[in-house]
Amino acid sequence: MDATQLLKGVLDLAVLAVLRHDDGYGYDILRRLRAAGLEEVGDASVYGTLRRLFQAGYLNTYVVPSEEGPHRKYYGLNAAGREQLQRSGKTWQSFASTMDRLLDDRGVHQ
Amino acid sequence: MPAVAPEVAAYLAEVRTALADLPPQARDELLEDLPEHLAEVAAEGGGSLVERLGPPAAYAAELRQTAGLGGVSAPATETTRERMAAVSVEARRRLRQADVKVGPMLGYATASDFLRLLVPAWWVLRGYLAAMLFAYLLDNSGQRLGLLPRLGGSGLVALLVLAAFVLGSIWLGRRQSRLRQWPRRGVATGTALVVLFAVVGFVNADSVTRWQGDLSPDDIAPVYENPAPPFDDIFVYDEQGRLLKNVRLFDQDGRPISVGSEFCADGSPVGTGGTPAVGPDGTLQGPRNAYPRCPGQAPYTFGGSPGPAGATPSAGPPATPTPSPPSPSPTPS
Repeated sequence: MDATQLLKGVLDLAVLAVLRHDDGYGYDILRRLRAAGLEEVGDASVYGTLRRLFQAGYLNTYVVPSEEGPHRKYYGLNAAGREQLQRSGKTWQSFASTMDRLLDDRGVHQ
Repeated sequence: MPAVAPEVAAYLAEVRTALADLPPQARDELLEDLPEHLAEVAAEGGGSLVERLGPPAAYAAELRQTAGLGGVSAPATETTRERMAAVSVEARRRLRQADVKVGPMLGYATASDFLRLLVPAWWVLRGYLAAMLFAYLLDNSGQRLGLLPRLGGSGLVALLVLAAFVLGSIWLGRRQSRLRQWPRRGVATGTALVVLFAVVGFVNADSVTRWQGDLSPDDIAPVYENPAPPFDDIFVYDEQGRLLKNVRLFDQDGRPISVGSEFCADGSPVGTGGTPAVGPDGTLQGPRNAYPRCPGQAPYTFGGSPGPAGATPSAGPPATPTPSPPSPSPTPS
């Protein structure tokens, strides 16, 4: 199965999850996702997802000026974002355990 | 919004163009933060934006999908440009996978980590190749180009040219990612030409080297030509130590082996050992491959006592017969 197809469905959740503890700017968020094992995630996907989550009202943003580099736009979870993370997280966990059971029953699991 | 680098601006403009079919407001909202974001990506270094993010059209296609605007361009209305962008996204995804897979084989996290270390070496090689191309185009001395970019056959000039081009290539390499779009395209085109020249030159040099390697003296020299010192006559002895006469020599193809001149060392015409070899008109009679041509010159007589036969008469037993070879028979005359 193509991991990118799966990723499309859960990228929102993944982005919310990596912002749970620390705010981050776009490139930083991409790095965190890749470091967490989602190596196939593309830069445009992360940026697009951030924009969509922002439009949906789950994120707040602020600009941090920087001496040498460009100014960085940081994203962080607001109250609605944390709620959304909880909700989506639960949905995912129940979905994932359903899938686990399904695979177990059929003996696909090792 | 702070002033953006020309590279970011160019990339941004192409992404915007690729999203031209979106409602203006949706597009502006989508792209609102992209200048800062791309500037951030560009600031991380490690290649141009196109190298790291793929072509702008592909980037736009991915944005469109993830930002929830995919409905605007359903597959039915998908343009060739978008299809190519999708293919490009897929190709880059595969490349990233291969990158991660191959890396450990080389002892690095990713293959590109390893290849990045080789980039300065490539700049040096590119400088050398550019210098060779330069010398190839400018040199009119008519000589073959060797391994150095000689101009008019001068080795010193070659080293200076080489140094200049290698330094230039490194300089360009370090600044490549900061160039504007057009200069960068110029560098890319030039590099492509140099690579093409290098491939042609390499194939040429390879075949020249192989051709020279194949050509050993055995291939061009006649089989019977003794390299050095030249010989004029052949003396064959049987196992008893007796000089054989009128021995006919042929090579493996049946061609008579013929050496020597028509006169012996003492000036007498060949054939004095028996059969008259020179006819009344002075031309050589009989087979030319009969040896010895001058039996009187035999270097050994009676089985092993050396000495010019011209000085020792070839008749009569030796004063002290040697025990071996056993039969010291006089040479028949």
